[in-house]
Amino acid sequence: MFAATLSRWTMSYFAAALIFLVLGEIMMVLGYGHPVSALEAPETLALVHIVVLGWLSLLMTGALLQFVPVLVGRPLSFPSVALPALLLLIVGIASLTLGFVSLSGTIDLPVTLLPLGGAFSIVGFSVPGFAFAATLWHARPLPLPARFVAVGLAALLATMLLGGVYAGVLSGLIDAEGAIDLTIDGLSLHASLGLCGWLSFTTMGVSYRLLTMFMLSPDKERASSRLVFVLGTLCLGLLAAAVPVVLVGAFGRVPLLILAVASGAAVVAIYVGDILRIYRERRRKAIELNSRASIGAFASLIAATVLFVALLAAGRLDTGSGAVIYLVTFGWLTGMGLAQLYKIVPFMTWLECYGPALGRMPTPRVQELVVEAAALRWFRLYYLTVAVGTLALLIGSAILFRFASFGQLIAINALIMEFVRTRRLINVPAELRLPDGLVRPGLFLPSIPHGGSHEPRSL
Amino acid sequence: MSQDPFELDVRPLLRGGSDPFQAIMNAVDSLAPGQALKLIATFRPVPLFSVMAGRGFTHQDRPLDNGDWEVLFTPEGEVDEIRLSAGETDLDTWPDPSRQLDLTDLDPPEPMVRILATAEKMTEGEVLFALLAREPLFLYPELAKRGHKWAGNFDATGETYRILIRIGGGRTHVGA
Repeated sequence: MFAATLSRWTMSYFAAALIFLVLGEIMMVLGYGHPVSALEAPETLALVHIVVLGWLSLLMTGALLQFVPVLVGRPLSFPSVALPALLLLIVGIASLTLGFVSLSGTIDLPVTLLPLGGAFSIVGFSVPGFAFAATLWHARPLPLPARFVAVGLAALLATMLLGGVYAGVLSGLIDAEGAIDLTIDGLSLHASLGLCGWLSFTTMGVSYRLLTMFMLSPDKERASSRLVFVLGTLCLGLLAAAVPVVLVGAFGRVPLLILAVASGAAVVAIYVGDILRIYRERRRKAIELNSRASIGAFASLIAATVLFVALLAAGRLDTGSGAVIYLVTFGWLTGMGLAQLYKIVPFMTWLECYGPALGRMPTPRVQELVVEAAALRWFRLYYLTVAVGTLALLIGSAILFRFASFGQLIAINALIMEFVRTRRLINVPAELRLPDGLVRPGLFLPSIPHGGSHEPRSL
Repeated sequence: MSQDPFELDVRPLLRGGSDPFQAIMNAVDSLAPGQALKLIATFRPVPLFSVMAGRGFTHQDRPLDNGDWEVLFTPEGEVDEIRLSAGETDLDTWPDPSRQLDLTDLDPPEPMVRILATAEKMTEGEVLFALLAREPLFLYPELAKRGHKWAGNFDATGETYRILIRIGGGRTHVGA
């Protein structure tokens, strides 16, 4: 018999992820990395890995620790790996970033920092990745959202393997010809498998389940959603197949990638249609802020896809790919992440704090842990800065980009303060806040078991 | 789970001149997951067949010797696997539900709050029956902590989750 319990370390993953996000924003405000430096410059790689590994991938891993068991109705296999993996990842991502900074020549650090950081990160993601894969394996046949997660995990593995090769080549540890070819020619494959496969495809799968749950929409598997899955898997398979093609020579690569782009664009179109239907067929009329704020993320996904296809058709991908990557990373993935945190944090806090008291004494509703009006304007500012930042990259204005990033830093810090207020129960009416016998949850560490009511792993 | 059909004899109602429809629907709502309904009436209740088919039941009807009819409504299709609380094997000993809640239109986690609040008002051994739009995965640990037992599954359409909760004794109190 499966009963879902709160994942002990998810909130710690979220906290670490948000700190990496703030670091990344500060780097952008200071003009570190693209667009001041080139897209392939070590400075940009440092920034990209802070944001994509430190923020997005830690956020996703923390969320999956909670959601994989809920998606498949089984307890997580090897739940004790969460904390060691988090520590490995923090060390790994920090070393990897410093390795890139050192590569840029700004500071002089041992050259081994880069492959060492890469190795720590790979082990750090592989360990929970293995726990997720084992959980999914035991839960076959998988419901559709869980199949998205399975493919996302496969893409994560491929991304990490390529990344490991690059770290070896860039630090001079690996000098095999194939590895060097792959580093020069295959960087976009590493980026696509990571952003489109691991992060976007997994987000899509989880969103099918979360949005229907939050808005009380019908959540039967639909043919269109299955098509999204099949085409998306095809697209990612084609990208992965491009790796051996790069190794043996450039022949056949262009048709492969054109097919991948076509299937990817179709995936986005059908997925957006599914999402529209979920919003339209919802049974609860009022849309909560997490679902409202997600609309900006979906709009960014559409905009990024249209921009990408337009640039490709115009033959100007070289000049505009920075804007596309920015829109995917900040508009779609970060927007979605922040919007869903705005629901997940209060829900987990509410259940942790008030679960033992439900029905026995007056307890606040989940919505009483948040003040939507306050957060709404920060989400608006956030998406405005994403739009301005994209524009700045398209017209090549570094100063406008830094200005937009400054606004973004303010919006993100304000949202983090909202999460802190939620964790601290500051928004809850005083008379309901902490009735006798209840324990205030820790800010981001699991609270010590107390009185038999806080054992998070009791099944 | 092999469970005897729930038997409902509406002949007294029919003879008294009242409409048994509501009584039949109430009986259907209180069926345990997978349980059949045996209906006894003074005529062959043809209009009911389509109503029950819409709710996922097939029927077998046969005339009784005295001219009355007996109809067995069986939940059709593959019955969703029943989730049982730890250590619970015999649902047949559970009494009929004394309280029923339809929570299908509430947003999560409100169904969980309502169920736990209702359970607090009930006495040991009583059974609560609730309908939900989702399987209440986060409710189970709270039920277990409070010593309650449960059994539930999705109906034939896969859209409504039905749960029976038997109130346990030895309640633990917050902070105890």
